[in-house]
Amino acid sequence: MTFNSIEFLAFFLSFYLLYWQIVGKSLKMQNALLLLGSYLFYAWFSWKFLALIIISSAFSYCCGLSISKAENEKRKSFFLYLAIFQSLGLLLFFKYFNFFITAVADLLATINLNPNIHTLKIILPLGISFYTFRLISYILDVYNEKIDAANDWVAFFNYVAFFPCLLAGPIDRADNFIPQLEKKRQFSYAQTVDGFRQILWGLFKKIVIADSCAPITNQLFDHYQDYPGSSLLIGAFLYIIQIYADFSGYSDMAIGIAKLLGFNIPKNFNYPFFAQNIAEFWKRWHISLTSWMTEYVYTPLSFIFRSSGKKGVMLSIIINFVLVGLWHGSNWTFIIFGLLHGLYFIPLILNGTLTKRNKTTSNLKMWFGIFSTFAIVMLTAVIFRCESISMAFEYYTHMFSKSLISKPLITTGYVVLMITLLYITLMFVTEWFGKNENYGIAGTFIKKSRALRWSFYMFLVISIYYFSFVDKTQLFMYLQF
Amino acid sequence: MNRAEILEKIGTILNSVLGHSNFELNEELTAKDADGWDSLTHMIIITEIESAFGVKFKLKDLNKLQNMGNLIDLVSGKLSEK
Repeated sequence: MTFNSIEFLAFFLSFYLLYWQIVGKSLKMQNALLLLGSYLFYAWFSWKFLALIIISSAFSYCCGLSISKAENEKRKSFFLYLAIFQSLGLLLFFKYFNFFITAVADLLATINLNPNIHTLKIILPLGISFYTFRLISYILDVYNEKIDAANDWVAFFNYVAFFPCLLAGPIDRADNFIPQLEKKRQFSYAQTVDGFRQILWGLFKKIVIADSCAPITNQLFDHYQDYPGSSLLIGAFLYIIQIYADFSGYSDMAIGIAKLLGFNIPKNFNYPFFAQNIAEFWKRWHISLTSWMTEYVYTPLSFIFRSSGKKGVMLSIIINFVLVGLWHGSNWTFIIFGLLHGLYFIPLILNGTLTKRNKTTSNLKMWFGIFSTFAIVMLTAVIFRCESISMAFEYYTHMFSKSLISKPLITTGYVVLMITLLYITLMFVTEWFGKNENYGIAGTFIKKSRALRWSFYMFLVISIYYFSFVDKTQLFMYLQF
Repeated sequence: MNRAEILEKIGTILNSVLGHSNFELNEELTAKDADGWDSLTHMIIITEIESAFGVKFKLKDLNKLQNMGNLIDLVSGKLSEK
């Protein structure tokens, strides 16, 4: 029941009607229905793992209250560590247990010890990376007295399991979300229109762009040995576009759906491909994760290492980005991906780009910054996509071979490729003109003319309709994390 | 050292780290109001403040900071402990 499915449409329409028509007059009823709806939505995927969400929510809720009532620092710390142990422990077990066991076995094998270690058959519960981060930030914020402990369990459980953001974020924070649950949502025509518009843009990016790139990238990455370097470069280009269109499209849909229910969720992407350096890129890409990591990982680390000056900043950034990489999954490819991105910050720290702002950037410098940042991000994403480091290495070797300067071979055909590239251009042009808005078509360059604006919407709708028949098998990429 | 003197000294540190003074230096100033004062430069600014005033902060103190007024409270509190 993903956002772009008929099942979700049926679920959401019934939910929407009940939410505004039947229970809209009472806050308690709104919150109760929201929780029930979120649990039903999750149970559709996995009713077994729903218990995990409920138990984790209850655990953090009780620990939060215990922290706020604790009489001394020792008790406060005890409940903090207890809650973190539970939520982080759950994440580590489900996501990293086998990886850790295998890494230990490999390490022991290098010193000629072959222990009889077995991995477990573990299924990763959907959305666990997202909701455990919500739980951890909540408990840390309560401990640091940034927020008061929630005393309405329905509101708190809703914060953890809010269905538009449950499976793949954005990872909203308690200080933004819980206050919205404490006030009755009022139906707003303007917010509803805005929500539908953002969903439309999200659907366009997902169905028209990401799902058109997917068959081409899958073919190129799965059979990279059979293709010339020029094709593999196209593969790398389309893959970074695919992941952006898929995940930012998903985020736009999640935020748009939340708007339809009267909630405001901060944006998750801020046109990352218009960033002029890597630091700016990470401020614009998957913002809810990077801001979470900045607050709860980078800041404490840089505080600890602060006496080491720039070296301390560099070390904190590198550790932070290795963990950002690892967050995506238990594979060395993600660790190397994170490590490389951390290393890309070093020149910026050394030459002072991060501290001293030069406001008078020339156009040439700006475009150079945008293209070089894009190129670095695109090439590094190859590691992210590959199943192993050796595969990534071979992909790079094939790509940067003599065949890089040859006619690219595309199995899906040049017409499909050209149409995909045209739509990608349309996406970028639209986002460039809308880059000061919350999402690509929030304001748009055709704001002044109603007829033109509606024609553009109709064009998007028709494109989505047409492309929805092309490939129905592509799930949202970030559901795997 | 009074509040105005602390504010002035912090202002000098901000100018030096951020490389500009395009912000209104007062107790209402927040990181958002000063271009370049972000998560990456924050700790550099904090370290400079620590060494300029000869004080040591705790991470928990820093987590609660909302604006310049809070920062001055924190510095003057640490100075009075000396």
